[in-house]
Amino acid sequence: MRFFIDDLPVIFPYDYVYPEQYQYMCGLKRSLDSKGHAMLEMPSGTGKTVSLLSLIIAYQQFYPGRRKLVYCSRTVPEIDKALAELKRLMEYRQSHGCIDENFIGLGLTSRKNLCVHPRVSMERKGAVVDARCREMTASWVRNKAQSVGNIELCGYFEKLQDIESSELLPHGVYTLEDLTDYGKANGMCPYYLSRRVIPMADVIIYSFHYMLDPKVAELVSKEFEKDSIVVFDEAHNIDSICIDSLSIDINERTLRSSTASVERLGERVEEMKAQNSEKLRDEYDRLVEGLRDALAARDEDLVLSNPILPDHVLHEAVPGNIRKAEHFVRFLKRFIEYLKARMRVMHVVAETTPSFLKHIREVTYIERKPLRFCAERLASLVRTLEITDLEEYGALARVASFATLCATYDTGFMVLFEPYESDQSTIPNPVLHLACLDAAIAIKPVFQRFHTVIITSGTLSPMEMYPRMLEFAPVVQESFTMTLARQCFAPLVVTRGGDQATISSKFEVRNDPAVVRNYGNLLIEVSRVVPDGIVAFFPSYLYMESIVAMWNEKGFLTEVWKHKLIFVETPDAAETSVALQNYRAACNNGRGAVLLSVARGKVSEGIDFDHNFGRAVIMFGIPYQYTESRILKARLEFMREAHQIRENDFLTFDALRHASQCIGRVLRGKTDYGLMVLADKRYSRADKRSKLPRWISTCLTDVSTSLSTDMAIDLMRKFLKAMAQPFDLNSQLGISMWTNEHIIQHGGRGDIAATSAMEVDQAS
Amino acid sequence: MPKAKKPADDDDYIDIDDAEPEGLKGADGGYAWEEEYKRSWDVIQEDASGSIQSSVLGISDQRKRKRRIRDTSIVQRGIIRHVMLVIDESESMSFKDMVPTRIHATLRLAEKFITEFFDQNPISQLSIIATKDGLAERLTELSSNPMDHINALRSKGNKDLAGEPSLQNALELGMHGLKRAPSHGLREIICVLGSLTTCDPGDIEQTLQALKQGQVRVSMVHLAAEVFVFKRICKETGGVFAVAIDEDNMKDVLFEC
Repeated sequence: MRFFIDDLPVIFPYDYVYPEQYQYMCGLKRSLDSKGHAMLEMPSGTGKTVSLLSLIIAYQQFYPGRRKLVYCSRTVPEIDKALAELKRLMEYRQSHGCIDENFIGLGLTSRKNLCVHPRVSMERKGAVVDARCREMTASWVRNKAQSVGNIELCGYFEKLQDIESSELLPHGVYTLEDLTDYGKANGMCPYYLSRRVIPMADVIIYSFHYMLDPKVAELVSKEFEKDSIVVFDEAHNIDSICIDSLSIDINERTLRSSTASVERLGERVEEMKAQNSEKLRDEYDRLVEGLRDALAARDEDLVLSNPILPDHVLHEAVPGNIRKAEHFVRFLKRFIEYLKARMRVMHVVAETTPSFLKHIREVTYIERKPLRFCAERLASLVRTLEITDLEEYGALARVASFATLCATYDTGFMVLFEPYESDQSTIPNPVLHLACLDAAIAIKPVFQRFHTVIITSGTLSPMEMYPRMLEFAPVVQESFTMTLARQCFAPLVVTRGGDQATISSKFEVRNDPAVVRNYGNLLIEVSRVVPDGIVAFFPSYLYMESIVAMWNEKGFLTEVWKHKLIFVETPDAAETSVALQNYRAACNNGRGAVLLSVARGKVSEGIDFDHNFGRAVIMFGIPYQYTESRILKARLEFMREAHQIRENDFLTFDALRHASQCIGRVLRGKTDYGLMVLADKRYSRADKRSKLPRWISTCLTDVSTSLSTDMAIDLMRKFLKAMAQPFDLNSQLGISMWTNEHIIQHGGRGDIAATSAMEVDQAS
Repeated sequence: MPKAKKPADDDDYIDIDDAEPEGLKGADGGYAWEEEYKRSWDVIQEDASGSIQSSVLGISDQRKRKRRIRDTSIVQRGIIRHVMLVIDESESMSFKDMVPTRIHATLRLAEKFITEFFDQNPISQLSIIATKDGLAERLTELSSNPMDHINALRSKGNKDLAGEPSLQNALELGMHGLKRAPSHGLREIICVLGSLTTCDPGDIEQTLQALKQGQVRVSMVHLAAEVFVFKRICKETGGVFAVAIDEDNMKDVLFEC
């Protein structure tokens, strides 16, 4: 269908539009017009991606200045889905007479997903694929091949070199599969093809890391114009991603491996000196003159990149004491020895980066400035020595990044050394953490560089938290509810068991036999009443294991077995995928199953449980983080001082966004229905309820907060019977599905053809 | 009150103004205390809590009314029907949400159904199958004598309910029984189920394929909730799947099949 928002014609690839989709598109347009940032929350399963894409493409093509769209998503399957939607949208647009000239849309992922070389693509680990690829595509290897011959090069890569950039890829939208097929058909490497075409593409879809993580962002995202539109989809965890991209952990194995790597590096330097000191001398000269490595312009050669943000890279010459290769190697050795010495301490040490650096200076006379250049110098050395097999140097690269990060940032980081994994263990397992505390460091440059950044997800509440944490000011900040002709989900808060004892996963009471019994009874009753699949989420693996063991002892699990099969999620990915497969089979053939999983695990992040795969979801307790963790405590303190966010507020916010994410898994689309059970006394309190997304909290009636198990079961039965009645889609028209007439009714502009026809009618 | 203009020739038009909550009025128009025992607090709760329950009932009542006005379409029903009636005798039927228990209500209703069925389709044949504990057994053979079936149901002193039903076994047994039926008649299996699970010896997918090949139409009335595989079987064989909200609704839905 086709309608107007203000003066922008939007082609929407379905016959009806949901009211919330329409409002979402209006909100988007406002932020695009005002060239400001936006935060939009829309419920899961209501077609967010298609509304986003159709509005932005319409905007892009209609107004002059074709702004590029950079769409960031979380996982590769999501990227693929978004590309498929885009393809469908463009086909629809074409069939309705929209001429989009020279439109290119594609995605980018790692080499592992895109390689077509018969030998290299068979490797299973991503790092190995990268290393093998570089062995064949690095510039020194290719130069040597020209002179020496008898060196294997990648034919697909070579073919790419001969073709002009503008003729590389014909117009259209390419999913990852399309891209690999095209590459195979024409003998070109899809990965490098994609990288080459990015500057000319209209829509690029890739993962968050390519925009946020300094290590990879430099490679890919440095050439985008200021007015490009950046969209972060499923961005509720974006602060964790920012923090993880700047945090490093070092343990004993890393140090051992880096010592070995440094030895090898030293040997190679000696070798090279003996054979051909030209290269080393060239490098030294370049560093003396302060020339930023011109070789870095060759993307394919950039094997180790700088872990700090481009703004913080010093534009100065590398300091004298690490210019010569052998000096640098010795420098690294000293630093590693220092780290080893620190790891022998038997108590916990937590300090800021400046004090850490001061200590280094006192003990080893290593200054701050050379440390800042550590990563860069290592990268340059590795290039000069023509090393391609970077797996072996991975640990050393980590140590170098550690040094650079420590030395660059004064605030917002913490160095934490823990000799034991937890306070109770007796076997020493020392780990040195460099923890980033400030989520804004990684993402602020994005907000500053692009003037339209859109953050969207199904669970962004409470929305005031993000602008404070990430330090940006959104122009548009809205939360949309689901319009439904019939209420197809029922959130229920169960606070008491059948014996009227309160249930909670609070740390003090979680092992209380009454609480365990009540949770067990809740699970049994739900499995008796709900057909097909049930998903149950626990706050942590530890809690899940202990409570399941207790249930097993007392015989609760045998009761559940009578009604449904039980599957459990484990930290192992392969086991979990087998469990999921069997869970789905059980849901499909009438056996019924319960899946026990964890609120912060892989299942809750990525897997959808639509229709019969998830008829009910139970959230046992509130998924708080492990509050005794020192890193978390440091982060909370930092937020209190820097952003005036109270600890309690942040912890509740974090717990509830995970809980909302979990219960949102069960609803996909408007014909789907599901029950959401929140089983903890604390959910009935107003401060927790207010932090649930608007589309859920508006459905929480007074009756359904603070229920006991039997009352909840009663409500569930009635709900299931009501939902199973035949439902006519046409009855939704006007309420939860709109056509052009309804848009006009609600104050929009509808389709200009229709409105002008009406005017003609009225005139005559 | 003059109604707004109705779109022409739309059988499914639901007139919202027409909805009347069927609350405490007796179904036969008599006095409320002469009715069968009703749990009045249930009804009150439905009215108070909001629109869903009463509006769903209202809508289904309207449909019922429209249907009574329309001709019963003979096209679907055929003249010679061979029907296997499957009754679930699993543990879930001992549940008390119908009075006195689900199984009692079902058996009562089955008797009424048999009478009505032979009223409307005098030359058809019926057979009853019961399933419990993972097995299915035939209660009565295919016959056109309603009294046979009713007596069998009544004399079923053995009203033990146990275990889980086996839909696959029941369907297979039903198909086996229908093999002898001539192909010019309509072959059907009608199930009344209360259980949310089924304990099957093999892949029910294969049974579904066999049903489709044998052109057997499966319809189901479920007393609790919608189970994916049950609904799928009904849809793919061209039958009807419905969930009964309460006893009256169950009667309507069963008579629809």
